[in-house]
Amino acid sequence: MTMTTPILELRGVQKSFDRGMGNTLRVLEDINLDVRPNEVIALIGPSGCGKSTILRIFAGLIEPTKGQVRYRGKKQSGLNSNVSIVFQGFALYPWMTVEANVEAVLRAKGVDEATLKERTNKAIRMVGLEGFEEAYPRELSGGMKQRVGMARALSVDPEILFMDEPFSQVDALTAEGLRAEILDIWDDRERNPASILMVSHDIKEVAYMADRIVVLSANPGRVRTIVENPLPRPRDTRSPEFLRLVDKLHDIITSAELPDILVTTVESSVESHELVEPLPYALNADMLGLLEFLMAQGGNCDLFQVVNHTHVPFEKVLTIVKGLEMLGFVDTPKRSVELTVLGRQFVEADMDQRKLIWRDQLLELKLFRMVREQLELHEGKLRKEELVQEIADRLPMENAEQTFDTLVAWGRFAELFAYREEKEILTYE
Amino acid sequence: MLNRIFDTVWGQANALFYPFRRRRAVDLFVVLIGLAILFGLVQLGRQLTAVHRPVVEISLSPWALPKYTFFSMMRGLAAYVMSLLFTLVYAFWAAKDARAEKLLVPILDILQSIPVLGFMPGVVLALVALFPGSNIGLELAAVVMIFTGQAWNMTFSLYHSLKSVPGDMQEAATVYGFNWWQRFKWVELPYGTTGLVWNSMMSMAGGWFFLMITEGFKLGEQDFRLPGLGSYMSVAVEKGNSVAMIAAVLAMIAMIVFLDQIIWRPVVVWAQRFRVEETAQAEAPQSWLLMYLRRSRLLRWMEIRMSRHRNASRQQRRKSTAPRHHSIHWWSLQRWASNAAFAALVVLVVFASFRLIHFLTHLQGAQWWTLLKAGGLTLARVLGATALGTLWAVPAGLAIGLSPRLSKLLQPIVQVAASFPAPMLFPVVIAALAHIHIGLNYGCVVLMLLGTQWYILFNVIAGAMAIPGDLKEAAEAFRFPTWQRMKVLYLPAVFPYLVTGWVTAAGGAWNASIVAEYYDLKGQTLSTFGLGSTVSAAAYNRELPLLAAGVLVMSAIVVIFNRLVWKPLHHLSQTRYSLTK
Repeated sequence: MTMTTPILELRGVQKSFDRGMGNTLRVLEDINLDVRPNEVIALIGPSGCGKSTILRIFAGLIEPTKGQVRYRGKKQSGLNSNVSIVFQGFALYPWMTVEANVEAVLRAKGVDEATLKERTNKAIRMVGLEGFEEAYPRELSGGMKQRVGMARALSVDPEILFMDEPFSQVDALTAEGLRAEILDIWDDRERNPASILMVSHDIKEVAYMADRIVVLSANPGRVRTIVENPLPRPRDTRSPEFLRLVDKLHDIITSAELPDILVTTVESSVESHELVEPLPYALNADMLGLLEFLMAQGGNCDLFQVVNHTHVPFEKVLTIVKGLEMLGFVDTPKRSVELTVLGRQFVEADMDQRKLIWRDQLLELKLFRMVREQLELHEGKLRKEELVQEIADRLPMENAEQTFDTLVAWGRFAELFAYREEKEILTYE
Repeated sequence: MLNRIFDTVWGQANALFYPFRRRRAVDLFVVLIGLAILFGLVQLGRQLTAVHRPVVEISLSPWALPKYTFFSMMRGLAAYVMSLLFTLVYAFWAAKDARAEKLLVPILDILQSIPVLGFMPGVVLALVALFPGSNIGLELAAVVMIFTGQAWNMTFSLYHSLKSVPGDMQEAATVYGFNWWQRFKWVELPYGTTGLVWNSMMSMAGGWFFLMITEGFKLGEQDFRLPGLGSYMSVAVEKGNSVAMIAAVLAMIAMIVFLDQIIWRPVVVWAQRFRVEETAQAEAPQSWLLMYLRRSRLLRWMEIRMSRHRNASRQQRRKSTAPRHHSIHWWSLQRWASNAAFAALVVLVVFASFRLIHFLTHLQGAQWWTLLKAGGLTLARVLGATALGTLWAVPAGLAIGLSPRLSKLLQPIVQVAASFPAPMLFPVVIAALAHIHIGLNYGCVVLMLLGTQWYILFNVIAGAMAIPGDLKEAAEAFRFPTWQRMKVLYLPAVFPYLVTGWVTAAGGAWNASIVAEYYDLKGQTLSTFGLGSTVSAAAYNRELPLLAAGVLVMSAIVVIFNRLVWKPLHHLSQTRYSLTK
C-alpha cells in the first residue's frame, strides 16, 4: 500500500498579523505539514514559533495569509466541522453545569433530543466524570475541568481531536493520568478520533504521546524537522529508548536555540548598521537565579539537569540561558551550560559591582547603544511608542512590545535609564 | 423519663410534618402573589383605557396611596422592561456590527447626557396626539420618560460585556458551530448578566428621580397629570399638606424596599451562577424570597411541565426542518438586514440633526452667550455639590466600610437612600434653607448634593470593604499613624471607587440641576439663573428652540467634561491605583 492520503494538509502556509501602525508581524513562514489517519502528531518549539497559530489554521479558525489548507485533498475554506479542540484554559462556560456544557455543543450540532441525553452520558462516562453531571466548573479542580473539556470535545465524535497545550494548567500527577486516558480512547480503532494533533511545550509529553513530533523554530515560525517516534505503546518513560528519544529532541531544540557557532541571521534587505540583536524574553531575576544555581553546581551543568533540578520548563530555561549568553556570563558547549570568568566575577560581586558589570555588558549590545542614542536625540524624554516603533523597524521579525518589556527590565537593573509606566516615558536615571 | 419520650415523639412528629407544612405555606404564598398581581393589572387596565379627562383629581387621602404607589411601580417596571429590550437590541447591534458601532456608541454617549426634560415635550405631545381618546398616550409618555432615566447605563454595561467575552470562550463557540442565537444565549448574554443586573438596580433607582415630573408635568397651559405616587407628592407639595408629604415619602421608601426584596435580591442571588471569576466571595448574597420559592412545589411542578413542553416542541421543530442547507441564503438575508438597519440609522441621525439645526437658527447670538454663562454657573454648582459630597462621604464611607459591623448595618440603608428620589425632599430642605436665609442661588447646591452624595458614599464603602486584608495588616504591623495610613493606604485604595462615584454623582447632579434650580412650591415657582432652570423654564413655556439649545449646551458640557476630566482620572485609577493588576 502506498502512503495513506493525509486527512489535513498545510501547503506553503504563511501568516502575518497586523500589529497596527503599519507594522506586520510574520509568525509563520512556508509551513508544509500534514495530519495522517490514525496518528498522534505533536507540535513543539520555543515561544513565538506559532504552534498555536498552526493549530488554529488547521481548524479553520484563522485564515492563512498565503498558502492553502486541504481536508482530504480538497481545499478547505472556513471552519472544519470534523475537528474539535481541547483548550489550554479549558474554555468552559462557568454558568453551565458539566452536563449542560456538553449538551450545548451537541445541540449546536443539531443532535435530536432523544439521543442527546444518551450521547452526553456516554461522553461523560468516557472521561470518568459520572457523578459530576450537576457540578459547575468552578467547583472542579484543573484536572477535572480539563476532563469536561475532553468530554465536550469527544461528544461530537470528531474525526480529528486538537489539543492546545491541554495539560499545562493541570497539576503534574493528574496530567500523567489524563495522557494515558486520552491515548486509550484514541487507540480504539473502531471509534473516532482517528487522529490527534497536539501542541505542547513539554518534551517528555510529546515523546510519550506522539507518533511524529514536529519541531518548530521561532521568528518567524518554520518547521525545523519532523522526528518519527516508532516506540511501541504503551511507552515506558524510563526505558533507555525513550530516554534516548528525549535526549535527541533536547539536542535538536538546543542546537537550534543555542548554536555553538554564532550565526547571525542577517536579512539582506536591512542595512547592517541598522541591525540590532533580538532580546530573549528573560527576566533578570530568573537570570540571577540561574547564575547562582550554576555557581552552586560548581560552575557548569547539563541543560537537561537544570530543567530537572529547578522544575522550570525547558523552554523557559532556554530563554534564560540565551539571555545570559548574550551578556557573556555563560557559555554553552553542546548541551551543557558553564559560567564564564566574567560570570563568576559577577556572581561573587556585591550588588553595586554587579550593576556596573551588567551595565558594561548591556552597552556591548547594539540595541542598548541605540536606546541611549535615541534618549539623547529626544533630550532625555523618549516615549514608549517611538521606541517600540524603532524596535519594530529594526527587528521586523520580533514582537516589539515584548522586546521593549525585556529592554526596560534589563536597563532598569543596570540603572541605564528609568521608565515611568503611567506616562510611558523613558528618561535618564 | 415521660418527658423525654414525649419530647421525642413530639419532635419526630414535628419533623415529619415540617417540610410538608412549610411547602404548603410557600405554595399558598405563590398563589397569593399571582392573584395580587392580577388584581393590580386589572386596575391598571381600567386606568389605561379610561377616557382622558382634562384634569385628573389627585386624592390626598392616605387610603388612596397604595393604589397610586402600585401605579407608579408598574410604570417603573414597564419602563424597565422597555429598557431591557432596548438594551438587548442596541448593545447587540453595536457590538456585532462594526460599521454601526461607530455611530451607535457616540449616540449613546450623547443620549446619556441629555436630561429627561429634553425628551419631554416631544415625547408627550407626540404620544398624546397618537391616542387622543384615552389615557394610553399619556401613560406611554410617562413610561418613556422613566425609560430615558434608566436605559443608557444598562446598554453601556451590556455593550462592554459583549465586547469583552474571553477569547477562548468565543473560539470554543466557533469550533462547536454555535449559531448566532446559541452564541447569544449560551455565551454572550450569560457573560453580561452580572453587569446587567447591577446596572439594572442602579437604573431602577435612577428612574424614580423624576417621578414627580413624569407624572405631573405641565407644558404651557396644558396640565398632563397621571394618578401616581409622584403626582400625589407634587399635589401635596403644591397644597403644603405635610401629612400627605410624609405619607408619600414613606410609601416611596416602602416601594423601594419592596422592589429590593421581591425583585432585586432574588435576581442578584440567581445571577451568582453567572460569575466568571473563580475565587469564592467573602460573603455570598442571600435572599429569603428565593430560598422560599426554591422550596415551592407548585413552581417545581410548573417548571417540569414547561421543560417537557419545550423539549416536545423542540422535537417537532427538528422534524419539520429537514437538514438545514440555507446558509448562503441566510447570509445574504442577514447582510441585507444589517444594511437596511444601518441605512435607517443614518437617515434618523441626519433627520434629527436637520431638525435640531432648524430649531437652533431661531436663536440669537446673545441667547447663546446667556446659555454658555448659565452652563458655566451650573457646572460650578455641579462641581461644588460633588466636592461637598466628597468632603463628608469619604471619611464616613471609610469609617463604615472598614468596620464590618457598621457596614452590615448601614449598607442596606445607604442603598435605599441612594434609590430615593431626592426631589421629594426638596420642600423640606428649601424651607430649612429659607430659615437660615440662604437663597436658591447657593441653596440649589445643597439640593443637588441631596441626590448625589449617596453615590459617592456608596462607592467609598465598597472600596473600603475591598481593601485586601494583608495591606491593612502591613499598615498595622508598621504602626503607621492615622494620617499616614490615610495617605499611603486608604485614599489610594479607595480612589478607583471614588472616581466611579464622582462620575455617577456629577451625572446625577446635572440631572438634578433641572429640578434644583427651578422648583414649584405651594403654587409659586422658585428659580435661580442657571442652565437647569433655563431648560426647565423653556420646557414648561414650550419654547422648543431654547429648550433644544439648552439641552445641546448641557450635553456638550457633559460630554467634553467626561472626555477631559473623568476619562483621564478613570485611566489613572485603573493603572496606578488598581489593586487587581
